Amino acid sequence: MVTSLLSTDDLGQARALVEASGLRFEAPYDDLVGVFEAGRLVAVGARQGRVLKMLAVTPSHQGGTLLDEVVTELVGRGYQDGVDSFFVFTSPALVPGFEALNFNLLVASGTTALLEYGDGLRRYLSRYAKQILPGNNGAIVANCNPFTLGHRYLIEQAAAAVDQLYLFVVREERSLFPFGARLRMVQEGTADLENVVVLDTSWYAVSSITFPTYFLKGGDPGGAIQMELDLLLFARHIAPHFHVKTRFVGSEPWCGTTAAYNEAMHRILPPLGVEVQEVERKSAMDRPISASRVRDMLLNGELEGIAELVPVSTLDFLLSSEGIKIWVKGGGK
Amino acid sequence: MKIVKKAQAGTMQSSDLMVFLEPAETLSVTIESTVVKQFGALIRAKVDEVLEKHGIESGEVRITDRGALDYAIEARLETAIMRATEG
Repeated sequence: MVTSLLSTDDLGQARALVEASGLRFEAPYDDLVGVFEAGRLVAVGARQGRVLKMLAVTPSHQGGTLLDEVVTELVGRGYQDGVDSFFVFTSPALVPGFEALNFNLLVASGTTALLEYGDGLRRYLSRYAKQILPGNNGAIVANCNPFTLGHRYLIEQAAAAVDQLYLFVVREERSLFPFGARLRMVQEGTADLENVVVLDTSWYAVSSITFPTYFLKGGDPGGAIQMELDLLLFARHIAPHFHVKTRFVGSEPWCGTTAAYNEAMHRILPPLGVEVQEVERKSAMDRPISASRVRDMLLNGELEGIAELVPVSTLDFLLSSEGIKIWVKGGGK
Repeated sequence: MKIVKKAQAGTMQSSDLMVFLEPAETLSVTIESTVVKQFGALIRAKVDEVLEKHGIESGEVRITDRGALDYAIEARLETAIMRATEG
């Protein structure tokens, strides 16, 4: 029987089993379950948000149904908690084992495969079936935290070059401004551009689904692999669905991670049929506009200069009582 | 009966299936199965029969199957329906 692992002894056994399997015991998690036999833990697994991790079965008990039981419990409980699709990162060699449990392979690169339980990707794509127009389309993926004149410039340049421009706003709630607020700023800031369609990325692009070490013995630098999986997923599943031929991106003068992501884009997307166009950032007051610059100014209380960096619709939001609450809570004055 | 809340039944083990039910305005059924090529139509027919028997006309029905026999499909789906419809 699968049970929750709560006591100190349970946790000690869980850690030992996970580590003996070559994985790292990684807090935090939302759920940690296991199977005992005669007081000894023989199988373990955890769920953090939508990601299943630390799945391990002791060698003497492998090949049976223990992994199925653990995954069943994690998925069943997760579903009751409101999670409707589940992901697993694993090595490509273990993909068939998960496919037998009805996981679907989303993408695989050399050392890592990402699988999803359920048909979340298909449902995500079909949600936007009505907005799809064939043609020479483009895409931008952006966080817009908050929406600036820099985003607006990139969008205008891109929209002028394509039939339809799909603007994917990052769904992940890891930013100062919540998704709902970012989406609204984008919608208001692009309402006058007829061929721009604003969508959300769901979990399928630039989502920071935590990179668990499931079965990744030896461990690869997670960030680089995740970037690659993210771009492969975009090129193989998202771009063809929306007839996207070109992905537009702003040049990145500062942030190392974003610069590396742009670099990976140039390397991975064109061979898979998606051109990459890097657009030089727009400047204001002699420096490139960026959302982080706007956030810094908000948090330092330099409100006067912000009007130079954001459209009126964003400024109205930032100075609304709802907007003020967000950045004051974030540490501003 | 009407699906009024989320419910789930079944397991991921071989010869079993997982059933997920959710309220929705229309009826949609999606079936994933390791034997969908061979038995997809039969699974679907069984699911439709059970839904009809319980008068389920709307809701989102998701099934992931690992080669369950039809009485297992019926039992799991009925269990999920009871859980999704009870007060």
